[in-house]
Amino acid sequence: MVKTAVSILLSFLLIFGMSAFEIWYVTDIFKDFRAVLCGLYEKAEGSVATHEDGIAVQRFWEDRKLGLHIWLPHNSIEAVDFQLSEALGYLYEGQFTDALPKIEVLIDMAENIPNVFSLRLENIF
Amino acid sequence: MSTIFIPYYSLLFTLFSTFRSYNQKIFTHTLSMGIIFLRTCIIFITLLIVMRLMGKRQIGEMQLYELVITLIIADLACIPMGDPSIPLTYGIMAILSIYFLHQVICLIDLGFSPAKSIISGSPSLVMNKNGIDDTQLKKNNLDVTDLIESLRSAGYFSLDAVDYALYESNGSFSALAKPEYEQEQTSLPIVLVNEGRYDFENLARTKRKREYFEDVFKKHGCNRKKLLIATIDGNGKLYFQPKGKKYQVVRLQWEEKVW
Repeated sequence: MVKTAVSILLSFLLIFGMSAFEIWYVTDIFKDFRAVLCGLYEKAEGSVATHEDGIAVQRFWEDRKLGLHIWLPHNSIEAVDFQLSEALGYLYEGQFTDALPKIEVLIDMAENIPNVFSLRLENIF
Repeated sequence: MSTIFIPYYSLLFTLFSTFRSYNQKIFTHTLSMGIIFLRTCIIFITLLIVMRLMGKRQIGEMQLYELVITLIIADLACIPMGDPSIPLTYGIMAILSIYFLHQVICLIDLGFSPAKSIISGSPSLVMNKNGIDDTQLKKNNLDVTDLIESLRSAGYFSLDAVDYALYESNGSFSALAKPEYEQEQTSLPIVLVNEGRYDFENLARTKRKREYFEDVFKKHGCNRKKLLIATIDGNGKLYFQPKGKKYQVVRLQWEEKVW
């Protein structure tokens, strides 16, 4: 009985710990990513964003996404990759009006992806 | 000379390009296969550890909740194992949650006996000194033929061979035999009447007409239509039980052993 109670406590701590870490880790990364994207958006809005700025955002994302693969479905990460590559392409060509909606989509994704996988009633059902 | 070598080089180049493209494809596939292999290994080891922690009962006769767990756990393991787009942590977390639930139910099972009967059910005494308990059989969605089958599996071929018989909460069957049963049983009993209806194939085996048995039942104050079960063996030992009443055993005077 004591052994069973200890195993319940340990498994609960492990489940709770993993869940808490996942929420903290994913939210933190997307919070930073959103801030970086907002910076890029402001620059693009002022037509001063360069391709290098885009590359810097991509590097930021590439560094963080490796850890995200453990916690998020890979399709969600691929969707961010796709939008980011398109935005970079427009920045390379200097088409700021086309790049802006793409960056806006990315900002939206950075806000919504952690919410989709967070502990909410609508996500459970 | 050069005109001869141009197609030769062109052929070599084509071969090299084809090999390179196939090599890339093979490498890509090997990567994906390799990932699935690694994921399978991780899930296998996790499952093995969890099943080992759950105890020996998991691989033997199972309680209801254990069967549910076994059914779920197989699916939980397969989905993240075969689909590389789902993080393996999802599968591991699900298995860990199942382990947690299993341990909680085990603790409730050990600590609170009323909860145990709700979760796992309780044993059903289907046969007692009065014979078959029809109500208990119906509660468990069983009929007399199922009971006879279980008795035969347990090594008892006659309904009057046991004093008590019960179905355990995990579905296994237990019976307490009468002490003199082994000496008495020399012929296989067959079902003559089931739920008030004759089994005509078995009736033919007795080499007697239904009127003969109707008279026997009447003589013992019993209406055939109200019988729960009646069995007969080759020596003429008739076992019958009216619904809701005690069973009777009658030894019919047959000149010879029929089977």
